[in-house]
Amino acid sequence: MKRVVNILIASVGGQGGVTLSRVIALASTLVGYSVKTAETLGMSQRYGSVMSYVRIGVNTDVHSPLFGPGGADYLLGLELSETLRRLHYTASSGIVIVADEYRPSYTQSVRYSSVKTSDLVNKLLSLRPGVFIVPARKLAEQAGSVRALNMIILGAFNAISGLLSPNSVERAITELLPEKAATISIRAYELGYKYAQQAR
Amino acid sequence: MVSHSILAPPGTRVALMGNEAIARGLIEADARVVVGYPGTPSSEVIMTLQSISRQLGMYVEWAINERVAFEIALGASIAGVRAMATMKAPGLNVASDPLLSSAYCGVNRGLVVLVADDPGPHTTQTEQDSRWYAKLAKLPMISPSNPQEAKDFTKVAFDISEELELPVILRTTTRVNHTVSDVVLGERVEVAQKPTLVKDEVRFVRAGMSWNLERRKWLNSRLKLAEEIASKYKINTSTGTGDFCIVTEGVAYEYVIEALEELDLLDKARVVKLGLLYPIPKKFLLENLADCKAVLVVEELDPYIEELVKMTLYEGNLNTRIYGKSTEHIPLEGELNKHIVKSTLVNLIEEKAFTESGVIESSHSVLGEIPPRPPPLCPGCPHRFSFLALKTAISKKGYKLSEIPVFGDIGCYALAVYPPLSMLWTEHSMGASISMAIGAKIAGYGKPVVAVIGDSTFHHAGIQPLIEAVNKNVDVLIMILDNDVVAMTGHQSTPAWSVSESGRVLRPVSVESIVKAVNPDIVVTIDPYNLDEMISIISELVDKPGVKVVIAKHPCALLERRKRGATRKYRVDPSTCKGCKACINVTGCPAIVVEDSVARIVLEDCNGCGLCSRYCPYEAIKPVEEAVVE
Repeated sequence: MKRVVNILIASVGGQGGVTLSRVIALASTLVGYSVKTAETLGMSQRYGSVMSYVRIGVNTDVHSPLFGPGGADYLLGLELSETLRRLHYTASSGIVIVADEYRPSYTQSVRYSSVKTSDLVNKLLSLRPGVFIVPARKLAEQAGSVRALNMIILGAFNAISGLLSPNSVERAITELLPEKAATISIRAYELGYKYAQQAR
Repeated sequence: MVSHSILAPPGTRVALMGNEAIARGLIEADARVVVGYPGTPSSEVIMTLQSISRQLGMYVEWAINERVAFEIALGASIAGVRAMATMKAPGLNVASDPLLSSAYCGVNRGLVVLVADDPGPHTTQTEQDSRWYAKLAKLPMISPSNPQEAKDFTKVAFDISEELELPVILRTTTRVNHTVSDVVLGERVEVAQKPTLVKDEVRFVRAGMSWNLERRKWLNSRLKLAEEIASKYKINTSTGTGDFCIVTEGVAYEYVIEALEELDLLDKARVVKLGLLYPIPKKFLLENLADCKAVLVVEELDPYIEELVKMTLYEGNLNTRIYGKSTEHIPLEGELNKHIVKSTLVNLIEEKAFTESGVIESSHSVLGEIPPRPPPLCPGCPHRFSFLALKTAISKKGYKLSEIPVFGDIGCYALAVYPPLSMLWTEHSMGASISMAIGAKIAGYGKPVVAVIGDSTFHHAGIQPLIEAVNKNVDVLIMILDNDVVAMTGHQSTPAWSVSESGRVLRPVSVESIVKAVNPDIVVTIDPYNLDEMISIISELVDKPGVKVVIAKHPCALLERRKRGATRKYRVDPSTCKGCKACINVTGCPAIVVEDSVARIVLEDCNGCGLCSRYCPYEAIKPVEEAVVE
């Protein structure tokens, strides 16, 4: 069947959102899908608000690297407030997978009233009852580094979507990351995958 | 990282970013000299090639600025090897002087200029449309729509350059440069490399006015051949049928195709895609547009194609209705996307209202308001110390912050414009900090003025303004924030490095040695991490007469951590923290978060500078004793 799967990754610069989009893109190519990603590299990568688009063409070509609000089949959130910021990109049938990670921005910390992690989680659940919240920090620490939080979400995504073969993900990670980070990342991917399988 | 994909055999399908695809295109085209100046979204072409350049026999290095890069590439081409210069759009402004002259001398081997425009804009000071440069410089320009074409057109650009004997501009936009896509690799050609130089004054010496006139005639005659030569490479295409025609180029083509697909209109419209943007392929346009009842031009930035299409149809005695930016069917500002194109098409063809299904509320109605997250200076950034020192010194001397203008420049330190530092008054163009400060003093501004510029920007365009300040005896405090790297664009080398990214041994030229050679009244070099000392130095110098240069030298904290790991971390003792927010209010450090009225340091983000602990009135922030796992 011909279909295009749209994925939006919402993250804070430095969390590995761009690496996550890259791994999905390469794994998709290895599976034999066509793929297009879009993101803004450069300054916004540094602790700013980062949004990455990944579009996977199954048995069809992908043309535009972008899609609009309401277009995402999957919203992968590495941080709660950034996920809320991009929630309107999710299609009504779309699936939201998000790390239970909260990084208030400077402006939030200083100028706005304090918002707790639980407030954000409740907000997300009220807007999207099916949102899948992953204890990603804890799992990433188990894998060997909190920096592998992005790969926990990748594991959960693939457990739910079943889009990418485990072998293609592993190869993509090995090709894109230095050896030590790759080992931890693969472990994190597997932990995220297992968690999603059991929790859902 | 991507080096094994880049070097895979022809026919392999790999996932490449547009800029990596251009890098592969350079390998396939057997280019030997690739030079540029870092600038988003163009930087990854050179970054991708550097680690493998020497095994490939390529010279791939950063140059001090875009004009020097272009001139090096021109010299290499004249000497008989294929060469490319890479830059972002404002970089082409810097290189424009030699660019215009290069059309008169032409090339020997292929010479391609990569210029990356940034509709949006996402990371550029202006939404510049560099397509006008092709018309201005009278140089052929080609433009790809996706990473596959980015690779293929790179190769084509060299071929066209050699056939026309002219430099060719390869023009891209962010959504081509930074899009990752599946790309099928092509054959690597071998171009005979014969470094030879032939003396030819008529071609290469612009002092002879009759020679210049002669060369202009030659240039115009070459441009007449461009369409025919380009047609061999099939970079202009026409698909679909019908009398509603769409002319487009670049990534806008992808939006057009997808919008037509979704509207089920692919067979009702003709899509004319231009690869050659200058000279405009008139014959091709007339052939494909002659029987159109209406033409819609879909392009980003200025109505460049639109104007040329109008002119071409007028010359062909066609009075076809043309829609585009001038008719407000396509917006004049910001980048395009499928939705904009789709709604335009619906308005024009279907004449019915367009609503995208499945859209839930926007973020504003979802959360009330989600606070913005502008990019801050990184944790441990030495610039934070420098700006805090400046801020404190200005107040200490009894001046108001609102009366001491701080002229900024292009680089990470421009992020000091955001609260809580809020220290930047201007950020204009490369090197403008010092020159604009000079102007303010010459105009008679009575209070002290400050110019802040980074090390790489100083090398790029700050040296001449410094000479100007010294030569004209201007009272100005110049702070050169020297973090020993081009940080903002992804940590590229500067002329102060001793080994380049490609492994080439360099002779370092330090900022300090240049400044001292220019001989300002005072030169002080200081590590901004010594905050108290820096405050007292600036306090002493800020209203002293003469040109005072403070070189604040400390390596980029982000790069240091990547290279060596953070040696120290700080944490907040939650029982001592009173939630006063002094730490974050003063520093704005992104590693500090305040949640539930208590400050917390995100341990993996902390780079251990300890600045926050200095401002904690309750001594709640202490170094972490145990080793921290990165």
